[in-house]
Amino acid sequence: MKPGTALRSVTDFLAGRFPVDKLDFHSMVEKKEVPLHKMSWGYYTGGLTLFFFLVQVVTGLLLLFYYQPTVSDAHASVEYITQHVACGALIRNMHAWSSSCMIFFVIVHLLVTFAMKAFEKPREITWIAGVMLLFLTFTFGFTGYLLPWNQIAVNATKVGLQSVEYAGAYLPGTLSELPRILRETFQGEASVGQSTLGRFYALHVVILPLCFVAVLGLHLLQVQLHGMSQGIDTPSPTSERFFPIFFSKDLEVWSVAFLILFVLALCLPFESFLPFPLLEPYDPLGATPAGIKPEWYFYFVYYPLELLPFWVIMLGSAVVAAGLFLTPWIFKGTSRKTLAFIAVAATLYLVVMTLFGEQIYHLVKG
Amino acid sequence: MSRESTLLVRANGIRIMLRLALVWPVLTGCALWTTAATAYPEFQQFTEKNSSRTTNCAMCHINPNGPVGEGDGQVGRLTDKELERLNKARSALEPGQDVDSPILNEFGNHIIKEIGKSKFLELRKDPGKLVEALGDKSDLDGDGIPDSREYAAGTDPLNKFHGDPWLLFVNNLKRELVHVALAIVATTALVFGLANFIRGLHVLTDRKPGSD
Repeated sequence: MKPGTALRSVTDFLAGRFPVDKLDFHSMVEKKEVPLHKMSWGYYTGGLTLFFFLVQVVTGLLLLFYYQPTVSDAHASVEYITQHVACGALIRNMHAWSSSCMIFFVIVHLLVTFAMKAFEKPREITWIAGVMLLFLTFTFGFTGYLLPWNQIAVNATKVGLQSVEYAGAYLPGTLSELPRILRETFQGEASVGQSTLGRFYALHVVILPLCFVAVLGLHLLQVQLHGMSQGIDTPSPTSERFFPIFFSKDLEVWSVAFLILFVLALCLPFESFLPFPLLEPYDPLGATPAGIKPEWYFYFVYYPLELLPFWVIMLGSAVVAAGLFLTPWIFKGTSRKTLAFIAVAATLYLVVMTLFGEQIYHLVKG
Repeated sequence: MSRESTLLVRANGIRIMLRLALVWPVLTGCALWTTAATAYPEFQQFTEKNSSRTTNCAMCHINPNGPVGEGDGQVGRLTDKELERLNKARSALEPGQDVDSPILNEFGNHIIKEIGKSKFLELRKDPGKLVEALGDKSDLDGDGIPDSREYAAGTDPLNKFHGDPWLLFVNNLKRELVHVALAIVATTALVFGLANFIRGLHVLTDRKPGSD
């Protein structure tokens, strides 16, 4: 392909994805319609993810007033927030619960939009931005897990960073050094310590939110520019206006989500699911306590990692990650029926691994 | 040396040895009583088996690694006054005595106060019976779950944010019912107001010029 032709292809692609003539309030809000059909509920999953992200921002900002990112004070400051700050336990619990809810809904949103074929032309950039948001959300979870500086936080982070380094053994040439360099960069010292906490804190409260907001802006701009995808094979005969009808309904869904989150945060401490020795302050001289494992949303990769050879998981993860980014091109001509089948199979795998991963592990390992 | 004096020395030697044999275990016991501490893993084993949750000595002791060692709340670091308190606590064989052992936390001290050291040692054979012996009255962290149930469930009896998730949820929901009701009213009112405000805004902006 000649350079001129390639450049024209790129400009044509971008012109199709960023139609300048639609960059006005009338096209993006007033004229926008939302199709009504049996899968219409799927249109609310993205809004719910955004809602939980906003809760994360607000509660995270409040926690910043008291949290101390030092190995000597981190755990004590979290205890102080929980035990002594007015509404501290509620805010911290809301942060913990909404992080899980955000991850849950980002996965649901991905699966639903995949099944609805919402990635097809001209929504490729919407999809890619969404996949980037998914990975950013997981990184939020990983970096935030360390901050309370308790036994499970530090030991699980150690395991996670160690896994990154293992990947080097399966990469060719100079690439094999990359995971080690990445690990050293994020860890900052020989073992997980003050440098690691400082770097994870900077990532969690500054770098990742900035990246997230930038990508989210692109994602939402694309959604507003191209409108809601059709979602089903036969075009829906009925639709409703995005503003004010769908927008008002979205607010109602958000209010229900807020109430559920509020009741959960008020009545069910997130940490009550963990054994209490894992919540004690991290002891660098002590033995690693039993029962160290990552948050529930990493089980789908954690238990297979415990059961299968590392290279299998690495290869599988690489294929899935590449597949996610290239979905608009890989599944270009695929029918919605096939996509729905793949989405259901992926959902089944995620549910089974998350709920029964431990039992499967014990069953296989005897 | 005459035969008589040889017999006398031998008899005295035997007497001394007999006395030593009798006194030695007592002396050893006393020495152990004041210096070394004994953890009772039977109770932890019961809790872990019963609840399938990992626990550690911090359920009853100050130090999560137990009473033996040189760390905080361990026997090796106790001052003379603390050793006195320790010995006093260890002599609380009967229930109802004030116990303030420096190696035990509030729950550990509560167990000894409630059932006495003798009964506690008896229960080592059947640690599950400690649940009945403690009863349902005491709830040191005030989370609504009795300490005895927290012991059986392997949760922290001194942390009101830790307990059986379902019981915690139900107890807290009962306690916070007014707040939940107020939150429902406030959120509904806010959403109702916002939705109507948006619709009103839409009607105003949607009106064609001159339609009045």
